[in-house]
Amino acid sequence: MALTRSAQTEAGPTASTAAGPASRPNRMGPGTRFLRRLRDRPLWMLLPATVAIIVIILIPVAMTVWLSLLNVNVSTLRLFLAAPWHGLKNYIDAFTQPSVLGASLGKSILLSFAFSVGTTIVITPIGLFAAFAAHRRFTGRAVVRALYLVPYVLPTFVTGLVFRVMFTEKSGLIDQVLSSLGIISPKTYWLIGPHAFWAMLITEIWATWPFIYLMALAGLQAIPREHYEAAVLDGASYFRKLRHVVIPEIGGVMKLALLLSTLFHFGNFTLAYVMFSSPPPSSVEVLPIATYFNAFSSFDFGVAAAIAVVTMILLIVPAFIYIRATRISNLSV
Amino acid sequence: MSRSAAVKTNKAASADLLLPNWLSRVVTLVLVVAVLVPVLYMLLMSLTPNQDVALGTISFAALELRNYAQMWSQAPLLSGLAHTFIIAGSSAIISVIVALLAAYPLTRFRFHGRQPFLAALIAVQTVPGTTLLLPLFAVISYIQTALSVHLIGTYWPMIVTYMTFGVPLSTWLLFSYMQTIPRELEEAALVDGCGRLGALRRVVVPLARPAIVVAFVFAFLVGWNDVLFASIFTNTKTQTLAIVIQRFSAGQATASLPLYGELMAAAVVSSLPVVVLYLIFQRHLTTGLSAGSMGGT
Repeated sequence: MALTRSAQTEAGPTASTAAGPASRPNRMGPGTRFLRRLRDRPLWMLLPATVAIIVIILIPVAMTVWLSLLNVNVSTLRLFLAAPWHGLKNYIDAFTQPSVLGASLGKSILLSFAFSVGTTIVITPIGLFAAFAAHRRFTGRAVVRALYLVPYVLPTFVTGLVFRVMFTEKSGLIDQVLSSLGIISPKTYWLIGPHAFWAMLITEIWATWPFIYLMALAGLQAIPREHYEAAVLDGASYFRKLRHVVIPEIGGVMKLALLLSTLFHFGNFTLAYVMFSSPPPSSVEVLPIATYFNAFSSFDFGVAAAIAVVTMILLIVPAFIYIRATRISNLSV
Repeated sequence: MSRSAAVKTNKAASADLLLPNWLSRVVTLVLVVAVLVPVLYMLLMSLTPNQDVALGTISFAALELRNYAQMWSQAPLLSGLAHTFIIAGSSAIISVIVALLAAYPLTRFRFHGRQPFLAALIAVQTVPGTTLLLPLFAVISYIQTALSVHLIGTYWPMIVTYMTFGVPLSTWLLFSYMQTIPRELEEAALVDGCGRLGALRRVVVPLARPAIVVAFVFAFLVGWNDVLFASIFTNTKTQTLAIVIQRFSAGQATASLPLYGELMAAAVVSSLPVVVLYLIFQRHLTTGLSAGSMGGT
């Protein structure tokens, strides 16, 4: 009954013009009319996607918030949402007590920020210069462009393993090269202790700079040729051309790229998980790792949920900016 | 060549130049080397006997394919490959069907909730997978106890999860593509009494085939690349390729002779399909990336 009513309320004048063939004189009973509406204006088609997103993403997000306020550990998981109330105790524990890996929530937040913002800061100039250099015509350009994609498209679990072997003390390539150049002392441990953070950062930089490159190149290709040519006719120097033609025109795309890139590094769980022995060192205990090991190693589900909620709170502002940016450029149909 | 033509090509060429030529060459050279070193090192190690990799004495003279033959017996790679194909394949098929159904009304009708729905497609991609894993695991354990069925260790939790993560990007890709298909093409089918579903199936789907293929590839790679959900939702009988390799490598860390040569061979085998797929579809990569590269992990 409720369905029929909602179907009728939609039958406004705007709806029938949009639906085209549906706008014919209507002398049928309400039941047939409802079936016909379903046929001609099949909004039910959105149902599978809506249900999947609600059940697998939105409800779990709400449950995470609820679980973070309960005393859920391995013995009370059976009670689940009926576990004893814990208030903000999980949050206090997360901030004041070190996890099974050794970092508290405050340190994990700092590590996550350093990792995601640090990577973005390094890969931005790399990606931009790569795009500037690949924009011109030269022999072998297709090969170079395809090659640039490889680090980005390699599965993260493969990249993590390759760099794990490369960073191995004594036998790994990086350790051998750096110590033979005298930059580091031989047998530096990159995979445990404080150096692990830098090993992870370097790996993430290697794997993700092509994202900035791809976005910048797409931006460069969208600039009308006349703009470049006008700058050439004016005899503008390279610097002036970049400063006055290129940067203003690709600025919008680049802002989106930097935001997405930072969000992406922030959520990267796989790299730290596969690159280091399990459990990983506390210097790589970024928020996803902290959530995972609190939940599935020490079984403090409440604390893990609290860390997850803090992660989502930190992501709300960038996510909101991202949605608005996409809305402006794409949603006007 | 006439003088004006020469000036024209010159002008066209220099319009593309954003850096001095020497600087472009240096940048390109440095980046090509930086990309190639780890990739070639992976290939080289996969062809080097395990003990030489462990000692760090790699020589080009002693390359052999033995790792590629031996690795299958060291870890259940073949069954991992089969599980990954089944899970990633079926989740991608369902994902594309669900996305086709959603994208069609989004391009053809105006209705309340259309804009929020599109915004939600973007929003859900910013939710990190680690924040969803715990409640999903809790729900699955709860259902297992309540109905006394086994779900952990079956394909279903992963198929449903990867399918859902594939939906926003697939819908977005198909939505953009379907906007370019003129509505008039469907009219004949609608007059024939096909109904919207029939028009979608007989007219839109054949025309949208390129976008469907790209959406399928992206959805397939969600499952292929995932470690996070598979590490909790599988048991020893259903481990996906990523998990088999991760466990294999974790076991080697403490071994007296780590089988890193074979590990690298396994890494090459598991990245080859992905790299090939991406290179085939590289023109569409940017669309896919800017529409949301968040995935779950």
